[in-house]
Amino acid sequence: MKRRVFVRGRGAITPLGETWPASRDALAEGRSAVGPVRHFDVEGYPSQVAATVPFPLDEAEDRRLALARRAADEAWAEAQVSAAPSRIGVFVGAESGRATYGTIFALSRAAGGGARFDHARFGEDARALATAVHAAAVSPAAVASALAARIGAEGPVETISLACASGAAAIVSATQAIRLGLCDVALAGGVGADVDPFMLVGFGLLGALSARGVSCPFDVRRDGFVVGEGAAFVVLAAERGEARAEVAGAARTLDAFHLTAPDQAGDGAERAMRGALDDAGRVEVGYVQAHGTSTQLNDAVEAAAIRRTLGDALPNVHVGAVKGAVGHWVAGAGAIGFLCALEAVEEGICLPTAGLTEPDPACALPHVVGAAKRKPVEAALVNAFAFGGANTSLVVSRCA
Amino acid sequence: MRLDGKGLPVIAVSTLTAAGLAGRGLAQRVLEGGHPRPSELAAPAPSRPEDIRQKKLMSRAAWFSALVMRGALEEARWNEARAEIGAFFGVGASGAEMDEVARLIVASMEDGQFSLARCGREGLDACNPLFAFQIMNNFTLCHGAILEGLAGPNAAFFSRGTGTVTALEEACAAITSGACERALVGGADTALHPITMAELEREGFLRQGLTPAEGAAALAITSTAEAPLGYVEAVRVFPVERPRGTLVPRTGVLRDAAVPAALDALEDQPCDVVVLAPWGTPAREALLDLPQVLEAEISVDTSLTLGESLAATPALAWALTLDLLAHLNKPRALVLSAGPDGDLGVVVLAKGGA
Repeated sequence: MKRRVFVRGRGAITPLGETWPASRDALAEGRSAVGPVRHFDVEGYPSQVAATVPFPLDEAEDRRLALARRAADEAWAEAQVSAAPSRIGVFVGAESGRATYGTIFALSRAAGGGARFDHARFGEDARALATAVHAAAVSPAAVASALAARIGAEGPVETISLACASGAAAIVSATQAIRLGLCDVALAGGVGADVDPFMLVGFGLLGALSARGVSCPFDVRRDGFVVGEGAAFVVLAAERGEARAEVAGAARTLDAFHLTAPDQAGDGAERAMRGALDDAGRVEVGYVQAHGTSTQLNDAVEAAAIRRTLGDALPNVHVGAVKGAVGHWVAGAGAIGFLCALEAVEEGICLPTAGLTEPDPACALPHVVGAAKRKPVEAALVNAFAFGGANTSLVVSRCA
Repeated sequence: MRLDGKGLPVIAVSTLTAAGLAGRGLAQRVLEGGHPRPSELAAPAPSRPEDIRQKKLMSRAAWFSALVMRGALEEARWNEARAEIGAFFGVGASGAEMDEVARLIVASMEDGQFSLARCGREGLDACNPLFAFQIMNNFTLCHGAILEGLAGPNAAFFSRGTGTVTALEEACAAITSGACERALVGGADTALHPITMAELEREGFLRQGLTPAEGAAALAITSTAEAPLGYVEAVRVFPVERPRGTLVPRTGVLRDAAVPAALDALEDQPCDVVVLAPWGTPAREALLDLPQVLEAEISVDTSLTLGESLAATPALAWALTLDLLAHLNKPRALVLSAGPDGDLGVVVLAKGGA
């Protein structure tokens, strides 16, 4: 029999709040954090808005580290767990940080400065620039390592890089580790700090960003996502303590279809949801926290997959998508989604989809529009689907 | 994690090194000193129409990964039900093609200075539209999965060594838990990308003897097999204490950690072969005594021969080890990797065959 995995703590820093309770209250009101980008010049960029964390952070750190630490500290403080260091693991969904444009510019100049990078010329002169490339700014593993040191974890330390599914996949890996007895306590979650010129360039080139500057998942007006930032973490444990919820099911699939578009049949997404529900056994889903990116294709495909998966049970479900309020955190997206699902189970608060005013018929679902709805929820399903086709679904349920 | 019974069967291996793309023969070349020195690889060019289309969107490591995935699938003869095959890989920072970066920079210059505004107006048009996705770490996994139709359980672990061992651990967990019956597991990376090189230089690894290289390896693991190449008996990551603010532990600390880690993984079983993958001189010195402590007849240093390929190194070490066991007809080996991330990855492999 597999060990149960209980949720003992949660924490988040978001564009709407410095803590999870503050963020949750703002989300429940249906507020959106999307606004003009002010910390660098975005003239000429395809999108000039983002959902930026406005609170002071330790500027000495890489932004991902600073965000992750705040959320992880909150989760760890709430959990009040006791375990030997060797039995504590850290599982983080994170992508590479970006070297600054100044660094890239200097490296390019060292290699000749032309339109073609001259690798032969990239020698000792360029190596002298090494001091400009800080490991923490590039390595996604720096986040997990820093958090492990901070909480004194000496068990498994993992960094999962699955783009938009990273944070959810980290929670899956943590769940798996506890079930298998590899650790007894796990700090798991994700962080995204993608409001930077590099990512706006990249997503802009793809045409993935909203030209209207609005994040409105499942809305007929939707035209792309808005980049956001933040961090969300949970503390999972084999020992229940005061926990009221547990990770009941988890599953991961790949579309194996396209780099930037979901399989239009939604087969991979459906398999992930069904896999998580099968893993959970008999549960009655009352809330779905959808991936809901506010892009034309993702939302239609996901909505259809949810309808097929839940079938006759759909009328009893409420659906929300947090990206409407806080934008797309990329590697952190699945983790903040998990906290929304957890809130439904623990508090009966079904958080809404901010920005959704006119649901697209192609995305027909029992949406939560406007403010949060309150009702008892036995289990909630959370989705995270990534560029490249990685799909992750989790089921969180009330502890029996 | 120790696997029940004989362990999980490995039925195919594929490697990409300075010697090219191959499934076997690595052991003989290493033992005889015939393996080419670590260098930039001349990876096979794409041969299928879909390869040609997708190759334009790949980082170098992503192409390496796709090649070894295909090689392992072909050797395993896994042509049916590929949608059920899992894929677990250690991946590096992928790395944008620097020519793309250079074009972006040039197009963003205004009066001799970099201009963010001009970058927004004109820099964008100078780039491959999927430029940013060359730096998405998971694409090192996803390109191969898309080309080969792998749609089962999956994860990409950022790795400077032990992340790849974690990939193996999760692959084994997926199979033993019934999430899938078959999985590809491996690593692909390059330490030769300019930004990665700069990072390694900054952290002092190059000065301390790390030989940068690139490569990839993939193993095909299944729940049951009649005559596998070998078995994965145990796999585990052992965190090693290090001073705050440093990436790697001190040599003495690593030395003190290695023996207990090895003994823990072996669980009193004899070990005939030890394969080490130390990132450079300090790590090599720390592991020097291990073969003697374990009374192993044969000891091989993967990194000394193949260089340090970061996320790819542990997987290359496993492939080398399976080949060694077959070539030398020895029953069991311990593979210990100590990558630039500072932790120890320990894998126990047993010889296969009828």
